[in-house]
Amino acid sequence: MKIVVCIKQVPASNDAKIDPETKRIVREGSKAIVNPFDLYAIEEAIAIKERTGGEIIALTMGPEKAKNALKEALSMGVDRAILLSDRAFGGSDTWATSYALAKAIETIGDVELILCGKQAVDGDTAQVGPGIAEKLNARQAANVWKVEKIEKRSVTVKRINERGWDLVRLQYPALLTVVKDINTPRIPKLRDALIAEKAEIPIWKPCDVGADPDLIGLKNSPTQVVRTAPPAARNAVTLKIDCKPEEASDRFVKELLKRKLI
Amino acid sequence: MNASEKRLNKNFHVEIIPPKQESENLEADLNLFASKLERVIESGFTASITDNAMGILAFQGHECIEELGLRIDPEKVLIHLNTFHTIKNLDEILASCMRLGIRSVLAISGDGSTRLPKLCPADVGCENALSVTSVELISYIRKNYPEFRIGVAFNPYEPEKHEFEKLDRKLSAGASFVITQPIVDKNPVIDKLLNDYAGLSVTIEAWMSKKLYLLSDVVGYPIPEDAEYDPIATLEKLRGLYPQCGFYLSLLGFKTQYRLIEEMA
Amino acid sequence: MKLLNEQDKLNYKNVWVLAEFTPEGDVHGVSFELLGVAREIAADLGCEVWAVAPVSEITPASYALIHYGADKILAIEDERFRYFNDELECNVLDRLVRKYRPEILLGAATSAGRALMPRLASKLHCGLTADCTELNIDRETGELLQTRPAFGGNIMATIRSGNFRPQMATVRPKVMKALKADYARKGSVIRETAENGDSVNIKEVIEAVTDIQNAVNLSDANVIVSGGRAMKGPEGFKLIERLAERLGGAVGASRAAVDNGWISYPHQVGQTGQTVQADLYIACGISGQIQHLIGMQSCKTIVAIDTDDTTPMMQMADIAIKGDLFEVIPEIIKILEKKEINKGEN
Repeated sequence: MKIVVCIKQVPASNDAKIDPETKRIVREGSKAIVNPFDLYAIEEAIAIKERTGGEIIALTMGPEKAKNALKEALSMGVDRAILLSDRAFGGSDTWATSYALAKAIETIGDVELILCGKQAVDGDTAQVGPGIAEKLNARQAANVWKVEKIEKRSVTVKRINERGWDLVRLQYPALLTVVKDINTPRIPKLRDALIAEKAEIPIWKPCDVGADPDLIGLKNSPTQVVRTAPPAARNAVTLKIDCKPEEASDRFVKELLKRKLI
Repeated sequence: MNASEKRLNKNFHVEIIPPKQESENLEADLNLFASKLERVIESGFTASITDNAMGILAFQGHECIEELGLRIDPEKVLIHLNTFHTIKNLDEILASCMRLGIRSVLAISGDGSTRLPKLCPADVGCENALSVTSVELISYIRKNYPEFRIGVAFNPYEPEKHEFEKLDRKLSAGASFVITQPIVDKNPVIDKLLNDYAGLSVTIEAWMSKKLYLLSDVVGYPIPEDAEYDPIATLEKLRGLYPQCGFYLSLLGFKTQYRLIEEMA
Repeated sequence: MKLLNEQDKLNYKNVWVLAEFTPEGDVHGVSFELLGVAREIAADLGCEVWAVAPVSEITPASYALIHYGADKILAIEDERFRYFNDELECNVLDRLVRKYRPEILLGAATSAGRALMPRLASKLHCGLTADCTELNIDRETGELLQTRPAFGGNIMATIRSGNFRPQMATVRPKVMKALKADYARKGSVIRETAENGDSVNIKEVIEAVTDIQNAVNLSDANVIVSGGRAMKGPEGFKLIERLAERLGGAVGASRAAVDNGWISYPHQVGQTGQTVQADLYIACGISGQIQHLIGMQSCKTIVAIDTDDTTPMMQMADIAIKGDLFEVIPEIIKILEKKEINKGEN
């Protein structure tokens, strides 16, 4: 079975700091990590391959340094990695990104299963997975927390929703986005990390995947950012209650009543 | 106390941190690790290798030793083992240590991070426990890998009664030596430990960084950033105060301090 | 669909709301909220609001869509809509969007909406903005301005997709306000069905299971009581459950509590769990790692209970109670119980 895992390099979130004025989180640091949800996708791909045999290809789109994310995937156990990278891809929104990744998957050829994390933690859109699936005419299941059965022509999975779960069977090609609960991603072994360090990672450009230059990049993305602004401040005053439990609870419940929260 | 414990007791433990998973230059970091390890063992000290210290993902000491084919005296190696592993991974580490001849392990709760899995009570056969602490970890190692000598941490800054009760649980689970949190002077809780647990091998951590304020979280009160601190002089003083104890040297500067330590020993 | 020219804009009209239904056939609350914002938009544009209802069968319950603001219900009846089938729904909607040409299409950011809308946007070739917190019409261009949090809530980004139609956006439950139901409102129903061509390359939904243990609808909850590491174990979570029950709320948890196996994953709030926006969020013994804070910072009132008042959570909270959880929480429950009894007597 040929499996592609789509991953994304995202900025790590560091220690939480709260701005005392706005009561909002202050984010700092720009260390890059593999999107946490994608680690579950990588692990699941490896688990499936351990059952069925085959090949796993890790795919990402991003700048040159996104190779580090692919190296981590390699050191976890994927067989090879491909970086989709070119200035022409820069600034792509979720539509253009899905298009580019789908083109790369077509180029890889004969892919039966595509795994993605549920969403990337920087954008939080959860749009690229379904976008890729549609472009490949693949069936999709989002929020998969269990792969029940891998068969010659189809995969059966449980996907979670607000009320419980659905059991669905998807013929290949199929795209699954996975949630955290599905597995425990392995920590790379030193030996595998050393091999990954030396791995050759090919860089594919738009022409390598036959991507239409008029459908990629910032300029051709359907969505455009008009402006950005800081979020409105949270309630800036913290009411501190620090007294004996009986008194504290009493003050607290009165406060909830005052604020009409109960 | 058996012979090997006695030797450990009079020794310096030098803490060595294996290369991080996010290392920019893994081979260089590995070589540095190897040279530190070899130097420590050549000096007759014990190399104490951390396990994902501070929750930062690092490679395991045994992997580095195996991968580099280091020929070292395994009796001079102590590996830290915390509760942030999958059971499979924990077993792999212990099996690998068995192969290498490493027989000393420091069982600690450790620091987690979003990337690190945590052992579950069922993994270590302690279904009734609420979570896996060093106590459950010790029981597991004792039961499945009886060849290991197991050390535990002791924190003189925790509420005393609580800490001694915890120590008792750790000892009855199978621990046989103790490494304390750093102290910089005579410490009444450590005195009590030495007095009440005569015969127990105790190694005292000495803080070898000049940045004493980094210990603020450990001691539970803020230490000013400009606090004057002389690590070597403090170590000398502690050795005088506690001649029966070994010393665990954390954040030792290999370039600046190592020679002084060698001379001291 | 990319606009061919300025003139082409005129070919698209009306605001569509993709309605969602509960398995019992009732309209999901979030659809009323979407209708509320759709009415505002429609007022600016001078057009109609259509509620799109893919259902197994249109029932009187569906008419609530009209009471809450729809001018028309586009009912797409097919037995298979009993279950959520991404491909089937996408194929049908793709066909109907091309037929009726709405200017704007809004969907709910539920698990189904977040899977369907991007697939549809991909097929239609148009922009889609996820999890909008504000939707406005640009007075000059008539375009839909879509505002959403970016970078974990650090920035609010305003996005347009003016050269493409329909302009698509999703909104999380409880972000927009539903109008008051007007039972005198009149509307009409347009009936469509799935066609043979819509069934190409669709998956098979074998069963849909309601699973209370594993389904926690935190995104819908008005009140969430959440426990962290300091709850010390499953016993501690009993307290959390009791308090949540008293307040009519749901139970949440930090990653540490879930990883320790004290409570199941669907309860986890945060970056790798659920994002919540309750009116009242009570964090018990949660220090507030950034991954957790990202998931709950949009809650209206945040309460923190902890012994340590220096934690990020205690600093972010609107109300910070310093104290022993195992003393404070039972006291709160006691007071609430007393109030309940008093209410009963009145």
